[in-house]
Amino acid sequence: MNAIETKNLTKVYNNNFTAVNSLNLEIPKGSIFGMLGPNGAGKTTTIKMLTCLIQPTSGKATVGGYDVQKNPDDVRNLLGMVPQQVSLYKDLTVMENSQLCADYYGVPQDERDSRIEDLMELVDIKYAKDKRVGQLSGGQKQKASLVASLVHRPDILFLDEPTIGLDPTTKRTLWDLIRELNDNGHTIILCSHDMHEVDMLCDNVGIINTGNLVAYDTPQGLKDALLESNKQDLTDALSKISDESEDSDSKKEDLENLSLKKMSVLLKNQDDEIIETISQSDHVKSVEVARNGRINLRIDSFDDMAVQNVLNDIISSGGIITSIFTEEPSLEDVFIKSTSEVNEDDRA
Amino acid sequence: MIEPKKFWWMIKKELISLKRHPARLVSILAFPIIMILLFGYGMGGEMTDLPIVVVSQSDGDLTDLTLDTIKSTETYHVVEVIDSLDEGKERVDSGEVKAAIILPSDYDKDSNQQKGVTLYIDSSDQMASQILESSTQGIFYRISNMVASQTSVSTQDAHIKPSISHSLNNFKDDISLHINRIYGNIKYIDFLVPAILGMTIMMSCMMGMGATIAGERETGELARLFMTPTSVSTVIGGKIAAKLLIELVRALILIFMAVLLFNVSIKGGFLQTFIVLVIGALCFVGFGIMLSARTQTQEDYAQISLPFSMPMMFVSGVFYPIETMPWILQKLAYVFPLTYLNDAMRGIMLKGQTLGDVWLDLVVLLGFTVLFFIIGVKRFNRDV
Repeated sequence: MNAIETKNLTKVYNNNFTAVNSLNLEIPKGSIFGMLGPNGAGKTTTIKMLTCLIQPTSGKATVGGYDVQKNPDDVRNLLGMVPQQVSLYKDLTVMENSQLCADYYGVPQDERDSRIEDLMELVDIKYAKDKRVGQLSGGQKQKASLVASLVHRPDILFLDEPTIGLDPTTKRTLWDLIRELNDNGHTIILCSHDMHEVDMLCDNVGIINTGNLVAYDTPQGLKDALLESNKQDLTDALSKISDESEDSDSKKEDLENLSLKKMSVLLKNQDDEIIETISQSDHVKSVEVARNGRINLRIDSFDDMAVQNVLNDIISSGGIITSIFTEEPSLEDVFIKSTSEVNEDDRA
Repeated sequence: MIEPKKFWWMIKKELISLKRHPARLVSILAFPIIMILLFGYGMGGEMTDLPIVVVSQSDGDLTDLTLDTIKSTETYHVVEVIDSLDEGKERVDSGEVKAAIILPSDYDKDSNQQKGVTLYIDSSDQMASQILESSTQGIFYRISNMVASQTSVSTQDAHIKPSISHSLNNFKDDISLHINRIYGNIKYIDFLVPAILGMTIMMSCMMGMGATIAGERETGELARLFMTPTSVSTVIGGKIAAKLLIELVRALILIFMAVLLFNVSIKGGFLQTFIVLVIGALCFVGFGIMLSARTQTQEDYAQISLPFSMPMMFVSGVFYPIETMPWILQKLAYVFPLTYLNDAMRGIMLKGQTLGDVWLDLVVLLGFTVLFFIIGVKRFNRDV
C-alpha cells in the first residue's frame, strides 16, 4: 500500500514555467523516503501540491488514498510538515505554539495537553516547554517544530532539511528521532541535501531533476548501479583508446588510474618487509606511505576479490591492522551523475 | 463555518506578543498621541507672539493708546519700542523681527489730514505676514474708529524695495457684516482633529495588516496555518479580529487624547464617533487584506501600499477642504474611502450629526469594506 501516489502530476506556473513535469511517484506506507534533487528541480512545488497549498495543473496525486484536489481537508489531516524555516510564532512558548496547532487541527480538548506533553517527552524538549520559541537554539526549535507538526498524529510526515545548520550531536539525536517516529508507524518524506543523512536514514531515494523523477531505488541500489555504470563507461573508453594509435598511451594510463579504487590501511607494526609484500601483490597498482603512517594503496576496482587478497597478503606477512577504509561511490556521486545526465540531455 | 477557537487564538497570540514586548505596546499607545500632537500643535495651532518692533516718532495720548493696544494684542510680541526708522527697517531686514509698525511723527498731531502708519513687513514668511497684515489692519481700524480721525495704514514690503505700499483705507461703518456661525466658533484644530483620527486609523490599519499577512507569509507562520484543515476566510478572519481589537483601543486613545489636549468638543457624542471609527477601521483592514493577498514579503507590501496611502492622506480633505483642490483631485477624492470617513467624522464631531445623518458616508464605507473583503479573500493565495 502506498502512502503517496502521483500520476502524471504536472504543475505549470502562470509564466509558463513547468516546475513539475508529469511526475510519477510511489512512496510505500511506513517507509522513509528521501527526496533529492538540485535547487529548482521541482521538489518544493511537488511538496506544495501534496500538502494542498497549490493546485496541480494536471495529473493526479493521492495521499493516504485521498485525492489532493477532491478532499484537501482529509489530506491535510493526514499530513504533518516540518518546514525548513521554523515557522512557529516566536513570541509564543513551545507549549502555546503546540496548543495553537492542535486547535487548528481540531485535536479534542481533553487529550490535547497530555498528547503534547507525551510528544515533548518523546523529542526531549519538555524542559523548555515554557520558553518562547524565539529564545530557543536551532536544535530546540526543530524539536519544537516537530512537536507542533505531530500533535494531530499525522500518518505522513514531511521533513524539509530538518538538520540543516545543526551541530553533529544534535543532528544524530534528530536522526534517531526520525527512525523512532518511523518505527511508530509514520511514513516519512525527507528532503535533504545532506547525502550522508539520506543514505543513513532512507529506505528509498528518489532523485528529481527538472520536474521529473530521474532515479528511484534504495540508497545501496543507486550506488551499486553507479559503480556498474562507471565500470562500463571505463571499459568502453579503454577499449576505444586501445583501438586507436599508440601515442595515446599516456591518456590510457590516466583512464586506467581512474579505474583504481583507493584503499588505506594503518598497521600497528609497520616495517619495510610488509610494505614490500603489499607492493608485490597482484591487485595493488601503487603504494604510498603517508606522513600520518597510513599506507595508501590503489587497487583494481574491477576485481571483487581485490580487497580480500590485499588484506590476506598483509596478514600473512605478519601485519596487525588497526584501521582500514576503502573508497566507495557515495550517494553524492549518484546525485551528481543522475542530475547531470538530464542536464546534458536538456542541452542536447 | 465560523470556528471561534481559531479566531480566539489569533487574538490571544497578538495579546501575548504585546504583553511580551512592552516596547511594541508603548509604540501602539504612543503613535496616536504623537500624531495628534504633531498635527494638532504643528498645523492646527494659531500664530501668536510674532516678534515685531514699533517705531514711534511721536508722543501723546493717541500714541500711548496705540502702543497699549498693540502690546495687549496676542498676535504680537513687541520686542522694543524705538524711535529710529532706519533701525526699525534694519531689524526687519536682518530677520530679527517679522515686522516694524511705524508711527509717523505727525501721528499725534490733531489734524484732519490722513495719518500714514506704515507696516514694514518681512513677506518672505507668508503665513506670518498674512496674519500680521490682517491683525494690524484690524487694530488701526478700531483705533481710528475710537478717535474718529483719519488714520491709514500702508503696508511696505521689506523685500521688494522701494515698496509698493497699498493703502488700507478705513471703511466707514456703512456696511455691517453679521456672521452667523451655524456650528459655533470652529477653529482649525477642530476641523483637523476628526480627520486626523480617521487618517491615523487608516495608516495603522494598512500598515498593520501588511505586517500580519505579508510578514507571516514571509516567515512561514501563515503556511503552517494553511496546512491545517482551515479555510482561508477563517485564517484571515482571525487576523482581522485581532487587528480590529488593537485598532479599537487605539481609536479610544485617539479620541481621549484629542479631548484632553485640544479640548475638542464631540458634539455628536462619544459612542457615535467610536462607531464611525470602527467602520473606518474595518474598511482599511479590508484594504490591507486586498493589497496583501498576493504580496510575498513585508517589503513588497510597504511598496505597494504607499501609492495608496500617501495620496489618500492629502486628497481626502484631511488638511484642506476638498472644494479648494483642483478638480481632478476632487474627483479622485470621491474614490478614496478616507474622504467618506473624514466627512462622517466631521459631521458627527463638529456638526453634532447622528449616524442617521451621515448614513451615505457609512453606506459607502461599508460598501468599500465588502468589496475589499471579497476581492481580498478571492485573490488570496494559499500558496506561501
